[in-house]
Amino acid sequence: MESIIKRIEREIESFVPSKGATETGIVRAAGDGIAEIDGLSNAVMSEMVLFDPTFDRTLEEALKDTEPIYGLVLNLEEDSVRVAVLGEASKVYEGMLVRRLGRLLSIPVGDSLVGRVVNPLGEPVDGKGPTGAKKFVPIEREAYGVIDRARVNVPLHTGIKAIDAMIPIGRGQRELIIGDRGTGKTTIAIDAILNQKNEPEEARPICIYVAIGQKESKTAKIVALLEEAGAMAYTIVLTAPASSPAAFQFLAPFAGAAIGEHFMEQGKDALVIYDDLSKQAVAYRQLSLLLRRPPGREAYPGDIFYLHSRLLERAAKLSQEKGGGSLTALPIIETQEGDVSAYIPTNVISITDGQIFLQSDLFNKGMRPAIDVGISVSRVGSSAQTKAMKKVSGKIKLELAQFRELEAFMQFTSDLDENTKKQIDAGRRMTEVLKQKNGEPLPFEMQAVVIFAATNGFFDGFTPEEAHTVEKKLRDYLIREAKNVLTSIREKKEITEDSEKELLTSLEQFIQRTQ
Amino acid sequence: MDEYTRVLEAVAETADEKTAEAAVQKLIAHLKSSGRMKMLPHIARELRKIGARRRLHAPHVEVASEKEKARALAEARAAGIDAKDVHVNRALISGWRARSAGMLVDESGKRALIDIYRKIIA
Repeated sequence: MESIIKRIEREIESFVPSKGATETGIVRAAGDGIAEIDGLSNAVMSEMVLFDPTFDRTLEEALKDTEPIYGLVLNLEEDSVRVAVLGEASKVYEGMLVRRLGRLLSIPVGDSLVGRVVNPLGEPVDGKGPTGAKKFVPIEREAYGVIDRARVNVPLHTGIKAIDAMIPIGRGQRELIIGDRGTGKTTIAIDAILNQKNEPEEARPICIYVAIGQKESKTAKIVALLEEAGAMAYTIVLTAPASSPAAFQFLAPFAGAAIGEHFMEQGKDALVIYDDLSKQAVAYRQLSLLLRRPPGREAYPGDIFYLHSRLLERAAKLSQEKGGGSLTALPIIETQEGDVSAYIPTNVISITDGQIFLQSDLFNKGMRPAIDVGISVSRVGSSAQTKAMKKVSGKIKLELAQFRELEAFMQFTSDLDENTKKQIDAGRRMTEVLKQKNGEPLPFEMQAVVIFAATNGFFDGFTPEEAHTVEKKLRDYLIREAKNVLTSIREKKEITEDSEKELLTSLEQFIQRTQ
Repeated sequence: MDEYTRVLEAVAETADEKTAEAAVQKLIAHLKSSGRMKMLPHIARELRKIGARRRLHAPHVEVASEKEKARALAEARAAGIDAKDVHVNRALISGWRARSAGMLVDESGKRALIDIYRKIIA
């Protein structure tokens, strides 16, 4: 009690009333989360405004509800401005006073955000109290230019064999995860976060998972999963659920990028996952139509491409002069019936540095992750792979492509020669080896060793059906019996001659014991 | 329609009542001849809106009590708001506040108390 009284007394003693004039406007019309404001003639685009319900109320009424309602200036018109309400739009009424805040929409960032669940304004939504972040940064800003950037050549391991071997992602890259509903897009993203635990602490990126238009139950499940796996120690979850205003869903990815940039500018690595940009595009379309901007294709506004390009351009690998930090972006796009040629998917495909395409057919056949390696690509390529992975994964993509061709041919004929049968079996075995359960990302050295075994014929003595089980046994065996080899690969990031010899001996011993 | 409204607004601002009346008569005649009489109610509504907006943006001072009137007017003038009207608004508790053309100067006790309250509960 005493402390509360002292705190209040301290506040009163140190209180300096704000002097000077504030620019204000009056709500002319409000509805659907958009307010038209009369006045504010000096307001600028993306500026924050504050709806002030206390102005025309008595002190008693005003103190009942002092929760600030912010707005974001989105349209500047001749004698009014249109503002997206960032909060409870039902509390905004005609005649309400609106104050200019004189700053662009900003969010608090800082190391204290790590482990927290926040909304696009940086306010905590996990019930753990204030985040303590003090530094404010604008959520919209220009991306780094060419001079400030360095080549993307440091791998960001997802822990998924099929990706790290065939579609490698580099720190600072933008790799799209695209596929129909329920094909495992979020699972890949979450596995990528979980896998960062396998990285040494000094090289571990800060992960930012941005949930856009998701069910709150799904986000809660993801947070619980990350907490259980100890991944919240390096993760920030930013959520704009389906129930939140369209403006929140439109802003969430930009807020995620701003948080990521904060870490990048400190010379650290950050990974941001936008789950998903289709929903952000829909939210932006809603806002644009309500703002009476002219609709274009599929009723999206004309600047929908720019919306995504200016967001994804913020992913970067900074030069050493700028600290050498990086921001990797994994945007997610949901397709309808596998149609990658729709408006938003083609836009985002053309912006990103590659895509991981997930197929419903593969998913239903039991291929998990359901990656269609034929049309998945990483434009950064092997320059973002460790020497070890580069050495073992060189042939896989070609072999799998040949296998898929033969597999299609096989459907029309039953009479196949021995060589073709062998090739098909090898392809099937490789497919089985690449299967992976969700929530079980593998460290890169383990992936390299498993792929080394598969490409060097160590699984040839087993049927394709057995390959998956044998692969699991092999991993257990290697952890038990070949720890030195794994450690050497992890530390040196390559398979040296000595390690290779040792590995071959271990693999032969394993095959002898298993067959 | 916007053009007609703007012209009438300009006439109302600059011309005397007789000239304004003549301008309205001319507008009605023009609308009749061009078969656009349907626009008249819209023009009237737009003008009403403009009037309401003007009243809203007109210099205006509120004080918590009668005795603060003189000081409020002087301080508002010093802050760049030259108002003729002063209204008593007891909800301000103490002090005064003034508005003009989208600018607000709030020196009221109510505002100070709300600010302190917000700081304490933040």
